[in-house]
Amino acid sequence: MDEADTRSLRVTRDTPLGFELQPVKKKAAIQLMGSRLWGRFNPNHWDPVYAAETGLKAPIQTGEMSSAYIAEMCVNHFGAAMFAGARVVCKYIASTYANEIITTHGIVREKIAKGDGYRFIVDVWADNDAGEKKTVGFVEVDVDV
Amino acid sequence: MFEHDAVAVTDALRPMSAVQIEQTRSFIAGLEAGSQTYWDMVEIGEERSRELTLTAELVILYADGVEDYNEWYEGWRMNSWRIEGRSPFGGAIVPPLLVSHFVLSVQFDHTRPFAIGSIHTNHDSEILAPIPVGATVRITTCATDKYEKRGRRYVRHAVKVEDVADGTLYFRETRDILSL
Repeated sequence: MDEADTRSLRVTRDTPLGFELQPVKKKAAIQLMGSRLWGRFNPNHWDPVYAAETGLKAPIQTGEMSSAYIAEMCVNHFGAAMFAGARVVCKYIASTYANEIITTHGIVREKIAKGDGYRFIVDVWADNDAGEKKTVGFVEVDVDV
Repeated sequence: MFEHDAVAVTDALRPMSAVQIEQTRSFIAGLEAGSQTYWDMVEIGEERSRELTLTAELVILYADGVEDYNEWYEGWRMNSWRIEGRSPFGGAIVPPLLVSHFVLSVQFDHTRPFAIGSIHTNHDSEILAPIPVGATVRITTCATDKYEKRGRRYVRHAVKVEDVADGTLYFRETRDILSL
């Protein structure tokens, strides 16, 4: 996405608690899950037969893919601040299966005064179309400090 | 020639011909040969370290896999090929969690057998400074703990990522791997 497209989304020092980040939505496409850079080293990420043999109902995404989705959402809202002094904490609480549609979410939970601005703490998670949470965590990022 | 029934060993998620099925089963058999559990491969205090050059093409491979098309990450474009790119920091930079993904290939590097049944369960990552596309970084992981919780076995690692040329500390992380 071009920076101009996301500038209107940017969080500022005046952004209130409870503010909801705009989600990003992705399909867990098996061809991406099994690409060489992502999951090729483990057939549980791309081979339905191997996944079934290990008790999975379908191949599962690497958790790091959902972390990357959450990071994309945060870069849309926090811009350059996501690359200097930010913190991303994610816990993978359920498997993301091939073909699921995953949506990211974020809500500003806390603002801690810092310099001229605030350190924002944002609860983040990723869920499927049924609302089942797959990844949960929080992000900390400095805004206008 | 083929041991497997084409219908029985693939499905609509990943349609394949008979030759593709055979190639896939052969590849997986190779991975499984000599596989071990990660728990048994790692000792507390063990440190592993590797250098990685974050080429423009590597960054594109990562970003395309998660369909993140932010132009800040583009040090390579079709038709132009390598470009300086642009971001708030000047040229192109790498996505914030890219180096976290490559920690796997320090923990499970090519000298080790396939770590069967291992799952990455969580990470606590500090993104300290932007990493320019083209930088060579050193990723260092140290196994800091092995513990059991509710009948499951975990290995914890502490990670740091530094610039090889000037020592800039870009990234720190704590992460857990669940192991059979």
